[in-house]
Amino acid sequence: MKKHIAKYYPLVPVFAAYLVMFFIGKNMSGMWQLMGMLAFYCALGQAFNIFLGMTGYVDFGYVAFLGVGTYGMAIGITRFASFEGLGIGIIAIGFLLALAMATLLSLAVGAVALRLRGAYFAIATIGVNEGFRYLIEGARIWNGSEGIIFMADMNQAFGREMASALSTFWADVMVFIIAALAAVVTIYYMRSKIGYALTAIREDEDAAKVMGINVTKYKIIAFITSASFAGLIGASSWAIKTPYVFPPEVFEIHYTIEAIIIVLLGGAGTLLGPVVGGLIYGLSKYWLAVILPGFQLLIFAPLIIIIIVAFPEGVIGLVKARVKGTKYKIIIE
Amino acid sequence: MIFEQLAGNLIQGLVLGAIYGMATMGLSLIFGVLKVVNVGHGAFIMVGAFITLWLFTTFGINPIFAIPFAFIVGMCLGFFFYYSTMKRLIKAPELSTLLATFAIGVLLEEIVKLIFGSEFRGYNWVVGKISLGVTVMPMAKIYACIGSILIAVLLYLWFKKTRAGTAMRSVVEDDEGARVCGVNVGWIYALSFAIGIGLVVASGVLLTMFIPVGINPYMGGGYTLKAFVIAVLGGLASPYGAFFGGLVFGLIENGSYTLFALLPGVEPFALTRFLSFVILLLILLIRPTGLLRAK
Repeated sequence: MKKHIAKYYPLVPVFAAYLVMFFIGKNMSGMWQLMGMLAFYCALGQAFNIFLGMTGYVDFGYVAFLGVGTYGMAIGITRFASFEGLGIGIIAIGFLLALAMATLLSLAVGAVALRLRGAYFAIATIGVNEGFRYLIEGARIWNGSEGIIFMADMNQAFGREMASALSTFWADVMVFIIAALAAVVTIYYMRSKIGYALTAIREDEDAAKVMGINVTKYKIIAFITSASFAGLIGASSWAIKTPYVFPPEVFEIHYTIEAIIIVLLGGAGTLLGPVVGGLIYGLSKYWLAVILPGFQLLIFAPLIIIIIVAFPEGVIGLVKARVKGTKYKIIIE
Repeated sequence: MIFEQLAGNLIQGLVLGAIYGMATMGLSLIFGVLKVVNVGHGAFIMVGAFITLWLFTTFGINPIFAIPFAFIVGMCLGFFFYYSTMKRLIKAPELSTLLATFAIGVLLEEIVKLIFGSEFRGYNWVVGKISLGVTVMPMAKIYACIGSILIAVLLYLWFKKTRAGTAMRSVVEDDEGARVCGVNVGWIYALSFAIGIGLVVASGVLLTMFIPVGINPYMGGGYTLKAFVIAVLGGLASPYGAFFGGLVFGLIENGSYTLFALLPGVEPFALTRFLSFVILLLILLIRPTGLLRAK
């Protein structure tokens, strides 16, 4: 029994990091917004890592799942705002819609794109992201390029005070919870047959196939899990926090790149990596915006190149190699 | 009436397609030889556009003469980025090369923004217009089209007739085999990357003749995505395939725009883009070797 629990010890530093962030934000004035942003980046990394880190496939269209998640929540709130007595249940409906839409889209995308490999997969996923955005704009689905603005609906459904508490406080709390949930799912996958199968696929897909692993099944499991978390993040951090949604914003490829950088920075395929990556990325972005406004990208771009060339395993990858064989290895994953 | 409009738009599409095709030849060359997808493709087009703008506005140099200059600048950039970054990533997983080329693109965009600012700019090169019956074509576009066909032919001859060109084709087929036969594969990688980037930067010059006031540090993103569709149409690893892919793409883009504009209650421009990505996915699934080549 003890051994059974010991498998999950690596969750301790992850949860500790989230708790510390939460209490710093809650108790130090003016820090909540920063901590919310950091939580968003950690959650994004954690969710993306389930697919990118574990399979080694590069999904350049990942932001599409955040996008449909945002739309799910927006539609939930606008359609159900006029129903009396639903109260906070509307948020639950919104999350369910976001989850369902992200899962459906990921099933459709996965069925098409996961047949492809390497660069072809990356190009196909970019195509899906952009194609979906232009379908929404071109065919005027969900108001097309005018987007949905639902501040008024939120005020109507929850009352002005509650609506503002939702967008300034509870949205970030939800992001913290989603990040923690994603970490739990990650370690569960890592310690089960799914994780071993995905590792085999990442190292050599053909060999894994020959060994009798159903590669398509495990790739789709990782893809859908990762996408549904993205939907939830979109629904909370984008929809509830800023009650509007415009197609060019929620399908912006730069968010995918941010997610890739976070995962790579911390260490792809590790549990603690996305947390470390998210913290480093979020803090340096915030700090650069303060001291050198407008020059963040000019500094980030060469930095990314250096990291890729010099430290491809990321921070946790390096730490893991250092703690191998010591007593700390049980909590670093 | 509608047929006349369609015919006019298709001619415009064919001319624009020649430029698209040339822009994508660099992408395909780099993918074919190095197996690297250059996600920063559009940024290099933007560099070419700014070179043209700078030469024209400060020295009054004819954009036609900017083409060789842009090609040389592009080759220098290509050698620089190859030896500083890409060389170390050739054997790395896709993730690294995709992100590295993306970062290179962002770096270029930010440097250009630092020098020129982020507002839209343009230049005015007056060389008259020509009437083709169904449509009126500015002469600048005709020159750009001729220029891009000439460059494509030169590249074709270079591949067929020169020693380095043959070596490059052998590396596309099988780099181990080429190495065994005494080809300096490392140098071929560097040269292909440089020529590929040179072509992309040069195509940026030609593209400015189509967008009179659309020169901006962030103009490249849309062209990267279009280049992916075109490259896949042509078979991804084949520069000539890319050129014909460009022609096909120009026809599809302009033709479908005319037809979508007839539908009520839609945004034809966005639907055109949507269609191009549907084509991308279909080709990837059904014929990943491209339209031209047999399996």
